[in-house]
Amino acid sequence: MEFIGDVLGDALSFLSDFGPELRRVTALTLVVGGLATAIGVVIGVPLGVALGLGRFRGRGALTVAVNTGMGMPPVLAGLLLLLLLWNDGPLGSWELLFTPAAMVGAQALLAIPIAAGVTAAGMRSLSGDTREQLAALRLNRRQTGWLAIGEAWPSVAAAIAAAFGRVIAEVGAVLIIGGNIAGETRVLTTAIVQEARRAEFGAAVGLGIVLLLIALAVNGALTYFQLREAR
Amino acid sequence: MKTHELLDKDHLVVFGPNGAGKTTLLRLLAGTLRGGSAIAAGYLPQRPAALRGSVRRNLELGLADSDDKQRAHALATELGLAGLLDASARSLSGGERQRMALARTLARSEATMLLDEPLAAIGLADRGAVAATIGKALEGKSALIVTHDRQTAAALGDRVAVLIDGTIRQVGPPSKVFALPDDEVVAGALGIANVMTGEVMDSEGGLVSLRVGPLEVWGVGDPQASGRALFGAETVTLYAGDRPDSGSARNSWSGTVTQIVPVGQLVEVLVDCGPTVVALVTPGALDGLGVAVGDLASVAVKATAIRIL
Repeated sequence: MEFIGDVLGDALSFLSDFGPELRRVTALTLVVGGLATAIGVVIGVPLGVALGLGRFRGRGALTVAVNTGMGMPPVLAGLLLLLLLWNDGPLGSWELLFTPAAMVGAQALLAIPIAAGVTAAGMRSLSGDTREQLAALRLNRRQTGWLAIGEAWPSVAAAIAAAFGRVIAEVGAVLIIGGNIAGETRVLTTAIVQEARRAEFGAAVGLGIVLLLIALAVNGALTYFQLREAR
Repeated sequence: MKTHELLDKDHLVVFGPNGAGKTTLLRLLAGTLRGGSAIAAGYLPQRPAALRGSVRRNLELGLADSDDKQRAHALATELGLAGLLDASARSLSGGERQRMALARTLARSEATMLLDEPLAAIGLADRGAVAATIGKALEGKSALIVTHDRQTAAALGDRVAVLIDGTIRQVGPPSKVFALPDDEVVAGALGIANVMTGEVMDSEGGLVSLRVGPLEVWGVGDPQASGRALFGAETVTLYAGDRPDSGSARNSWSGTVTQIVPVGQLVEVLVDCGPTVVALVTPGALDGLGVAVGDLASVAVKATAIRIL
């Protein structure tokens, strides 16, 4: 127990420092995760609305693809993008490998199916009466989609939270595609891996606490909005 | 299914029992169910949903221009929603929600309206006024209205089509269809209260007489008819005492009142004239007559209101 106590003590002193490296890693985590979530939401939520409400050819196949994507291992997403961005790869000329931009891309690949899948489930759970009413208003697809998002807002909020939770917690994709370069592509999860390997458990736990606090803040805010909606 | 075209500026009510296919027909026309050929029309679903936000926002959903929106607000005021515009639409009662949806749908500029049970959620006391508002809003437009309620059909329809098991069995003005159903299936669907079986005795100028127990029943039919008389309870006039002052009614019989049953806003009075005859009257009229169970009463029915099959 003394060991755990020591680690926690180290973690607290690491956090109370809140040095420049911790600040940089936290900021990059928020920027990369935030942008990836934003891309995931902008693409995934409309896709989810279309899958949940639309009637079009290929919907079944697309639903299967999205559901599979929801469970895609992050290292695989990272590997996929690595092959694309590798010097000799199709997008090698973009020279994005080991940059935050590439990390955003890799995490967006993870966020899109989560946002789409959870949103689609929310759309399917709208009552038949609500769906009939939406159709009866004779709006164009975009307007109908916006109204449907409003009606299924708790589900869409859950989709955003799930997408953010997915990208903020994953390590495989950003490790492969970002390389965990100190001061450039190191984020909280890859920093934890680094510190744990070096047996710097205080720092690792401190970084973990920051990660948890971020997840707590985002999910707390979304839960607040969901509950306010339900009232 | 036979094709029945919507006549220009006509208000056709599709009437039928639950499960007849009324809502399916309307949804196919509205395009919310796959497989139909959708038409450009305003559409009121059977159970209109209140969406997020205020009544005002809900009222204006899907209305493109300010004329339509103004019309929606005018209709909402007429339907008693003026004080609720800033309330949350989801807090509305079922009847208020129905009025909101009616105002929004009727305000649309399409020349055709598809209305699914437009009065179902409206309290009995207000149905007349709401029906009048609907009737006024539908002036100059074509409408297809589906309902399983006879009063709604009579209040809103120029013509009634009786839909049973996906087939239209009879089309005509409400007064004619409800008084003279073409066959027993239609009569059953319409809830025709009086069905008598007897023997054809005589015929005279398009009328046929039937012997039903002690009664002679005159009605519209064919001399080759098989011997069934059908007539609605609302076509029966009720009198107190033995002999009615029946005026022009060819059929007048008397008997003992066996039962008085409230039916919605009206009252059914069952008179045992040999076969039992059901009369539909208002509670006020019944009070005026002073008729009670066990009393002697008389009933009169015009021959033209009875269908002999």
